[in-house]
Amino acid sequence: MSKKKTRFCLAAAAGLLLLGGGILYAKKESDAVRVQNIVLIQKALDDTDFWTSVYQGGRMAAVEYNANLTVKGPANERQVVEQNQMILEAIAAKPDAIVLCPCSSEETMPYAEAIEKAGIRLIIADSTMDEELGSAVVATDNYEAGYKLGSYMKQFVKEDTQIGIVGHVKGSSTATGREAGFRAGLEEKASQVAEIVFCNSDTDKAYAQTLDLLERYPGMDMIVGLNEYSAVGAARAVRKLGIEDVVCMGGIDSSTEQIQFLEAGVFEALVVQKPFNMGYLAVEAAVETVKGEHVEKNIDSGSELITRENMYTEENQKLLFPVTK
Amino acid sequence: MRKSILTRFRSIRTSMIVSFATLIIFALLTFLVLSLRYTESTVLENSTEYTSQLIGQVNNDIDSYINYMENLSFIVANNTDVRDYLFAENLTEQRKNQLQERITALFENVKDTRGDITNIAVIPQTREPLINNGVERLNPYVDVKELSWYQEALKARGEAAISSSHVQNAVQEHYDWVVTLSRYISNRVTPEIGGVFFVDLNYNAIQDLCERISLGNKGYIYILDQSGAIVYHPQQQLIYSGMKQELLSEVMETEESSFLTEDGKLYTISRSEATGWTVVGVSYVSELMAGADSARLVYALTALVLFAAALALAYLLSREITKPIQRLQGSMKEVERGNFDNAAIQVWDDNEIGSLSRSFNIMTEEIQKLMKQSEREQRAKRKYELRVLQSQISPHFLYNTLDSIIWMAEWGKNQEVVTMTSSLARLLRRTISNEQELVTIAEEIDCTEAYLTIQKMRYKDKLEYEIELEDGIGREKIVKLVLQPLVENAIYHGIKYKEGRGLIQIRVFCQDDCIVLQVEDDGKGMDEETLAHIFEQHIRDTRSNGVGVNNVNERIRLFYGAEYGLSFKSEPEKGTTATIWIPLGKDGENHDNE
Repeated sequence: MSKKKTRFCLAAAAGLLLLGGGILYAKKESDAVRVQNIVLIQKALDDTDFWTSVYQGGRMAAVEYNANLTVKGPANERQVVEQNQMILEAIAAKPDAIVLCPCSSEETMPYAEAIEKAGIRLIIADSTMDEELGSAVVATDNYEAGYKLGSYMKQFVKEDTQIGIVGHVKGSSTATGREAGFRAGLEEKASQVAEIVFCNSDTDKAYAQTLDLLERYPGMDMIVGLNEYSAVGAARAVRKLGIEDVVCMGGIDSSTEQIQFLEAGVFEALVVQKPFNMGYLAVEAAVETVKGEHVEKNIDSGSELITRENMYTEENQKLLFPVTK
Repeated sequence: MRKSILTRFRSIRTSMIVSFATLIIFALLTFLVLSLRYTESTVLENSTEYTSQLIGQVNNDIDSYINYMENLSFIVANNTDVRDYLFAENLTEQRKNQLQERITALFENVKDTRGDITNIAVIPQTREPLINNGVERLNPYVDVKELSWYQEALKARGEAAISSSHVQNAVQEHYDWVVTLSRYISNRVTPEIGGVFFVDLNYNAIQDLCERISLGNKGYIYILDQSGAIVYHPQQQLIYSGMKQELLSEVMETEESSFLTEDGKLYTISRSEATGWTVVGVSYVSELMAGADSARLVYALTALVLFAAALALAYLLSREITKPIQRLQGSMKEVERGNFDNAAIQVWDDNEIGSLSRSFNIMTEEIQKLMKQSEREQRAKRKYELRVLQSQISPHFLYNTLDSIIWMAEWGKNQEVVTMTSSLARLLRRTISNEQELVTIAEEIDCTEAYLTIQKMRYKDKLEYEIELEDGIGREKIVKLVLQPLVENAIYHGIKYKEGRGLIQIRVFCQDDCIVLQVEDDGKGMDEETLAHIFEQHIRDTRSNGVGVNNVNERIRLFYGAEYGLSFKSEPEKGTTATIWIPLGKDGENHDNE
């Protein structure tokens, strides 16, 4: 037949082969696109149960959503400068999203803004910042946590009970939220709160402040600590004075020492955060944001009130004692 | 009439290729669908079996841990030191210390050899508990007798009791995730006095077992104890928080060893006789099918390549099949153009097309014969016409000439009578009697000269003529009786009306592959109108010999073709020139060859 038709047939065959190759290529491309790179910048990359659990939760979500998770963080939560440096490093690596647990609500701000300016999706986890930033905030609802503690502690409040609160950082979002929640949980007995002191997340200071409080208010028979450092410091002081049977204590967070105090009956109750869920939800939110899916602006990672009685239930022992290796 | 789909294409070949392609696509698609289905079911089957083996292995490993712990508990329970420590009454302090040392040494030995044992301890009802190296103490805030594994050991009455995974809070300062095997040790003498032995298996050992096994990227393994509580699940916390759902009761209740969920997860279940635990493997069908995906791709590509190859084959085959048809078509086109010489087709095939070609050959042959016959008939007819035209010499001319001869004879002009009579005879022989259509130019001139001789004698001094014949042309052939009518025309319409002597010049010469015959007179000439209508003189001039100029023109054109013929040039009172053009050397080779 004519040369024209021969050419047409050859072109058709070549076209089919190209189409096949194209499909193959496109498939590989789309496979490659599916893996997201996500950087998790923690407040601290230490071996505390809290941050280990945050990472484990994040990794769980990363595996589930087929994302590539890298974790960074300074040696302790006070190293704001180091964390900011790590934020810059993370931006340079151009990941799809960064999950940031800001060390400071103020000093971390410009760096968090830089993340968004670089076109990287930002998820704030654990703590909020002065300004609303990021696609979502995944954190413990502090008010809720405080409220749970307050409404539980209310039953121990007697007519003449004086309540002392040991807070961690004055004006910080977590401290403010927890305090307000605690007072709200106490309801009409909130007026019996004698004083709130702030220890700046320093156990020794909390210890000293508690001793001071007990001295100034000899009738004080209820003390709560709003985070790990303040609660442990307060409990140590009470135990030091040997008045744990008199003073009714509550706290937030669940370090091993706190758990031992709970077991020993120093604490009546602890409200624990869910760091595993926090990590999981933050990375999940990051993945979904990158995919362009709708993500709630504020995600509560949850908290749980633990007492001596329920601390070894199937559910709660997982919360209190993360499996570490 | 409805057109069939296939005949809508311009050629049979396209129809064939399209039909082939359709058939091939249909066959390939069927093949694709079937093989994909088969691959999918095979992959699923293989995956189920593979997963079964994997989780079976996990179960075996767990069983071997438990077996080890059970053996250990058995050894400890029957160890004389342990029995002495538990049951002997009135132990001396020294003996007690010695026993404690030996037992803790045994415990330490076990812990040293097995890294996955977290705690090993015996808790007598009457004496101090011995934990690991003997230094560790019971948790002072916990009543060990209230712990569930202690209770279970009592309930088991000397058999081993296996706990689910839990935090071991019996040992001071330690909160390790473990699986506890506990056993109540008693003797027959004093069954009420005894102790509980327990050994803790590090939870990490089980977690490692489960994590080590990969069921794709997303797949995972979880373990339930006999009551359906979670021993291990990678997302345990999420499940407790209600963020994830897991099939727990479904797995406990099902009799099947595997099942598929609606959201594309494959659950494979293995139960252990020794522990009563259930190991569940969860794999994602989408991941299992990832391998099937590449298989799918290979199938699709293969199908594409096959399709391309088949198309090429169809292209070649259809060319082979339609070649004779195309040859037939080409041949028919030739026939259409009237070219019969190359129309015949060589027939190789013995099929329908072969017989069609044969019929075609016979048909064209027949047509060719008929055409030749018709041509012959046409020619005969034309010849007859020519003859009719030629034979009509005017009788008036004959009468006048004969009258002239009579008069000349009367006057005794013998010589003139002879000349005129012989000229007439020559003229008549040439015009009437000759059968031939063609004559040589010399003969034609001879005839014309005979006519001129007669006319010259009749018109006496009024007519002169000159004949110029180029050398070598005399033998060329020409349709006869073309020159004489022109001369006649020149005399009757030119010279006759002229005062005084008239001259007729006849010239025959070659020019541009043509023979030119010119008859020029210096007579009255014609005006333009007469000239324009010169070929329309259908009415016969009775005085002429009857062969008009129109007749001459017609015959030349009929014989040599329309591009040849007769033309006139004239000027009033000056004369007329008639010119005949005929091809040189074309003495009827096509026409006179029968």
